[in-house]
Amino acid sequence: MKYTEKKVSVPLCAISTTPGLVNKTGSWKFAEPLFIDRVSPCNQQCPAGEDITGYMYLASQGRFEEAWKLITEENPFPAIMGRVCFHTCEEWCNRKDHDEAVSIHTVERFIGDYGLSHGLKIGITEPEKDKKIAVVGAGPGGLSAAFHVRRRGYPVTIFDRDQKPGGLMRCGIPAYRLPRDILDAEISRLSEMGIEFKMGVTVGKDITWDALNTQFDAIFVAVGAYQETTLGIEGLNKQGIFEALKFLEEINLDGKPKIGKNMAVIGGGNSAIDCARVSRRLGAEVTIVYRRGEEEMPAHLEEIEMAKEEGAEFLFLATPTEVYGQEQIAGLKLEKMALGEVDDSGRRRPVPTGETFDIDCDGMIVAIGEGTRVDDLPPFVSHKKGVVETDQMGQTTESTVFAGGDMIDIPHTITHAIGSGKRAAIAIDRFLGGAKGEEKGLDQFKWGDKGTISVGRIKGTTLFKRRSPSTEVIDYEGMNTFYFDHRPRIKIDRIPAKKRLEGFQEVMTSPSEQEAVSEARRCFICGSCSECGNCYIFCPDSAIKSDPEGYGYIADMDYCKGCGICVNECPRGAMKMKFME
Amino acid sequence: MRKVITGNVAVAYGAMLSDVQVVAAYPITPQTTIIEELATMQAEGLADLDYIRVESEHSAMAACIGASMGGARAFTATCGQGLFLMHEMLHYATGARTPVVLANVNRAAAAPWTIWSDQTDSVSQRETGWIQLYCEGNQEVLDTTIMAFKIAETLRLPAMIVLDAFFLSHTSEPIDIPDKETVRAFLPPFDPGDYWLDPNNPRTFGGITMNDAYMEFRWQIQRDMERAKGVITDVHEEFARVFGRKYHQVEAYRAEDADVVMVVSGTVASTGRDAIDLLREKGQQVGMVKLKTLRPFPREEIIAALRGKKKVAVIDRNFSPGATGIWAQEIRSALYELPEADRPLIYGYIAGLGGRDISVKTIESIYRKTLTDEQPDDVDMWIGVNYV
Repeated sequence: MKYTEKKVSVPLCAISTTPGLVNKTGSWKFAEPLFIDRVSPCNQQCPAGEDITGYMYLASQGRFEEAWKLITEENPFPAIMGRVCFHTCEEWCNRKDHDEAVSIHTVERFIGDYGLSHGLKIGITEPEKDKKIAVVGAGPGGLSAAFHVRRRGYPVTIFDRDQKPGGLMRCGIPAYRLPRDILDAEISRLSEMGIEFKMGVTVGKDITWDALNTQFDAIFVAVGAYQETTLGIEGLNKQGIFEALKFLEEINLDGKPKIGKNMAVIGGGNSAIDCARVSRRLGAEVTIVYRRGEEEMPAHLEEIEMAKEEGAEFLFLATPTEVYGQEQIAGLKLEKMALGEVDDSGRRRPVPTGETFDIDCDGMIVAIGEGTRVDDLPPFVSHKKGVVETDQMGQTTESTVFAGGDMIDIPHTITHAIGSGKRAAIAIDRFLGGAKGEEKGLDQFKWGDKGTISVGRIKGTTLFKRRSPSTEVIDYEGMNTFYFDHRPRIKIDRIPAKKRLEGFQEVMTSPSEQEAVSEARRCFICGSCSECGNCYIFCPDSAIKSDPEGYGYIADMDYCKGCGICVNECPRGAMKMKFME
Repeated sequence: MRKVITGNVAVAYGAMLSDVQVVAAYPITPQTTIIEELATMQAEGLADLDYIRVESEHSAMAACIGASMGGARAFTATCGQGLFLMHEMLHYATGARTPVVLANVNRAAAAPWTIWSDQTDSVSQRETGWIQLYCEGNQEVLDTTIMAFKIAETLRLPAMIVLDAFFLSHTSEPIDIPDKETVRAFLPPFDPGDYWLDPNNPRTFGGITMNDAYMEFRWQIQRDMERAKGVITDVHEEFARVFGRKYHQVEAYRAEDADVVMVVSGTVASTGRDAIDLLREKGQQVGMVKLKTLRPFPREEIIAALRGKKKVAVIDRNFSPGATGIWAQEIRSALYELPEADRPLIYGYIAGLGGRDISVKTIESIYRKTLTDEQPDDVDMWIGVNYV
């Protein structure tokens, strides 16, 4: 027999004849890993309750249609929001502690525009119902409430005194921030869902509140806050003096307000900045006069920056005490202010110094805040100085009436209004379904204790799977950031200031698809499993397996020894260890 | 496709064309451009492989063993100090019967620190159970890389491609690059059979083995190394049929009627051909034998090639301190079984260590010394040392 033909009775290499599975080494453990879903700070922060990490994950993979559907579970207007929301989510982004916050709004804007350019539609998710809903006010709050109840199958009619829907989104926000075709296109999707719009109808005048309350099973009211705060000085009836909202409404509805060549804008909020930037576009020199310092301005930083780029001047620590001129405003007497103690708003209070000086101007816009006009409210709801009293879901003292937007006690932003409309829609659905008084049960569907309720969480959306969702919020320290690279935030170009002043062309340019994907990839997806596979790779016992249900991983407790390596190596805090009893 | 590329790029092309699935490597001069090229190929989508960055050559080989046990075609490259560090895992790869392929760029050992070529690193791994395939030129490097996977996987033994630092690794030559489909037809995907890590059927591999079975496992390695001689010949022949280029474990050059035969390996063979031609022109009855395989050592073929010759001059670009050059040892051992009448005198020469050139002149002087010395010296002669 040849040497190479000889055989021995062992296999080629030493190998156990019994599979290792018989030895269930998992019995050694005293702690076990759990896959949980924590809430990202951005999701908690979003006043509209959007699933930001969810749609960032989808967008990072170029799955824009699914990303769009995930946003529209919560908010009907991604293209509008990506432009006008002041994205406080980014202030809370965990990535800001790593390098720079993710430019969430840039990605949202791209997803919204993708939805528009691809004609994506929003479906009705539940069977048609016979209970009817009236919505009063076609602003962001009303449109949001109408959208969410309509999705649940209710017939909805919207009433508004204006000729076109949009409320403050149309009357308050200039076209250079929100082009009208974008606004119209996103609102028209709501008509396509079968929502009826009754425009040019003022409830309380053209139809009584009582009639409405009889004809409909529930009413959502969000008529906004159109009572402008006055300066409380003499001479405000002179020509050339405007109230901010009226001024913006006129310009935004294609009017041509007769402004001066040298405008003073009073106030430090976003409306003041809007008025100043519009005036610059109308050819005027502009000075913004604010009674506190630059750091105390409530206006958004980027807005202030762009106003400066466009040539607006700022005069801080001054407030008007007298208007000069006969028929026409000819100048202002200003009192110098100083900063005192911190007030309730967390900013230093302006304190009069008694020292005055004059400035020349031939026009003035007063933009120092607004409240609800009491006349606008239904007579049967309780309110305090125009702020309607509601529970956390928006139900008023009159059980069939729900309220939202600027007329309830929430910050006056479009996103907050949209969130309030959504909450009320959920409450209306439960109210008409007879499930009243279960608000506490809804807390589990909030993005964290301080967050807004999420439709996706209630319905268990499959667009981005959240496994064992908790309301625990994850911070930067709670993650294993070793696995994340450092990469700067996307910079979106603004058109040159000179070109901006030629008209009302949109200032911010659109990101490319590549840019949107690249920025979405910067998202850590804090708190959620992204199927990165670290737990699977690191498990020394091969006890982590793919979830047979199709997404993520499971731990096989027969073999998991409870070492905790998987939990430690999970980059995004989507796991935790639990000590066993 | 015909391209002008370095030996290192030829290795990378060979691995890429072989559809290697896992590369775990640590950079070291002069090997680095191999793994750089593979990383580029992966980044550009030319190679579909997982690239594992490791902290040492020891880990590189450990990762390759793991990948191979998981059923993947695994590859790494190193040289000199890196190969020394890998030594423990080289033994393990053999014992675990993982057909990992490694390209070793011959680099001389430190200290003193050096990056230039000699074979001490690879010949030091003679006992690890790795098949060792030495190359003369860049075409042979590429072709041998492809063949190495087929040889290794057929035998379930690891294989090492060996090429000289700089003379091949960093020198460009025009070579033919085969197309991927032809290579795929020649080299089917790696089939690990019953021996692989399956998470659904976990088993213990290489667990402690008592004295009632250990020898049987080792004997199978030896049996398969003996089988390897036939397998390598078969693969050489199949390669020649498909690609038209024929390689040999032992290749004779103008040796048939020679009285003196020079035995060489690696790039010295190229210089050797010129030297032999020159000497033949001067009427010398001299020939050359080029060795491609150190393990398995082609005993039968070398006996056939050298039987009845008067004198054999073995040029070793390596040495074993206290003994002789490695190739010379092997040849002396193989020829000892010949009857005295057929047994040539064997002259051992150490040359070209640390990248010192072995030129046509060097080879000619070795020949002259072999011709004139009636008997070999007691120990191998060191050529080119500047004695004072």
